[in-house]
Amino acid sequence: MGYTIPIGPYHPSLEEPIHAKLYTEGEVIKDAEVFIGYNHRGIEKLATERNFIQTLTLVERVCGICSHSHPFAYAMAIENIAQMEVPKRGQYIRVIMAELERLHSHYLWIGLACHLIGYDSLFMYVWDARERIMDILEEISGNRVNYGMVIIGGSRRDIDDEKRKKILNMLDDLIEPHNRMKDIFLNDKTAALRTKGVGVLPKDVAERMGTIGPHARASGVNVDVRKDAPYSCYDEFDFNVPVLNEGDVWARVVVRVLEIEESIKIIKQALENLPEGPINLGNKLPKVPAGEFTARHEAPRGQVVYYVVTDGGQTNYRISIHVPTFKTAPTVPYMLKNNTIADAGLIIASIDPCFSCLDR
Amino acid sequence: MQEFKSFEIKKEEIVPLAKKMKENGHRLVMIHGFVDKEGKHVVNYQYEVGNCIESYTVKGEDTLPSISEIYDVAASWPEEELYELMGVKFEGLNMRGRLFLPDTMLEGQGHILVTPLDELRKKTLKEGE
Repeated sequence: MGYTIPIGPYHPSLEEPIHAKLYTEGEVIKDAEVFIGYNHRGIEKLATERNFIQTLTLVERVCGICSHSHPFAYAMAIENIAQMEVPKRGQYIRVIMAELERLHSHYLWIGLACHLIGYDSLFMYVWDARERIMDILEEISGNRVNYGMVIIGGSRRDIDDEKRKKILNMLDDLIEPHNRMKDIFLNDKTAALRTKGVGVLPKDVAERMGTIGPHARASGVNVDVRKDAPYSCYDEFDFNVPVLNEGDVWARVVVRVLEIEESIKIIKQALENLPEGPINLGNKLPKVPAGEFTARHEAPRGQVVYYVVTDGGQTNYRISIHVPTFKTAPTVPYMLKNNTIADAGLIIASIDPCFSCLDR
Repeated sequence: MQEFKSFEIKKEEIVPLAKKMKENGHRLVMIHGFVDKEGKHVVNYQYEVGNCIESYTVKGEDTLPSISEIYDVAASWPEEELYELMGVKFEGLNMRGRLFLPDTMLEGQGHILVTPLDELRKKTLKEGE
């Protein structure tokens, strides 16, 4: 006999509000639906009443985890319309912040995955490692989230030599806990039993559904806007894009573990070659002509897309924000099918969802 | 560096273009929309072609053909969103009900991109009473 089991929108196994309906037979999920929209704040509408500097503050609050990615992408769109060239040092600082954000975001999700499989000691171990990054982010910007580091035309705050050394030391200290965590996920039976073969998304389905980010890369789809359409100064760094073919929850964890190592490589290169010079073009309200541009940034969860239309005035005529979860959440019903109810929370969480981002 | 190219197309060209893009392996990045100063709908189909976003714009249409048969959920979710935010209808789209907005804001009562903020605020206050 079949049952329909509702999960959420508010449920202990969910990171953020989403409503899922599971159509089950016994313990097995035969079909599923997901419903979003519990965090809709009308941010795109509000942005049409803000000037370009005020909008940076607004879009930074689209998401608490990738709060650097949003102003980064928005600023790139405005800078392209206004044909402004960001000073090199400003570009490097933006990239350093973006990659530090990727580190803490990936550790956050890996920790949650450990918690959801009942491996709470590893959860606390991973989050302890994450705290070192949060401390550095606070050291650089004054905040643990919503860093306020992006302005139109560059970065707001500099990274001086003292901070540069602190970041490099922190990255060195991260190696030991990172390697231990990596070893557990690659070799530990407990982690493998709860994640291997669970919530599989094959490559052809991932491509058909147009999914992106680490979620797609764990299913064999090599897509990363830092390589596919380089922006800012990403083309100056040597790094790889890890791709796995398993497509299960295990692959989604491991691909993030490997991405952390690539991000550390990028941050080290940026810090060691930090150019001299100004960090921005001044913090004045820019004159932006009428125009349109779509800017993309590879946020921790995948591509953030900002389509901005201006009319020559001081406010945005339209901004359209699309976030990775918009492309990963639709894959959840497919992944849930033929898995057990006990794995539903883990599978939903395995896309590293950000429903605040998604709903805007 | 990232590039952006914009083209204007007619409604009849949407589906053939989507088929061609799909055959050539180009991703549908997003379908964006807004209402221009004359009150007409503007819908952009944005594809990733190398390091460039090619944006194909259709202006002044209230009903468009759905490309969800071609691009699956990568198209159907943006199409549902555009219906909710600005009332553009997509022929052939299997609507699931609501995506982002409360049920009370569907069926012409919401469409927040085309409703002035002061009217939306009055509506929210009224519902909260």
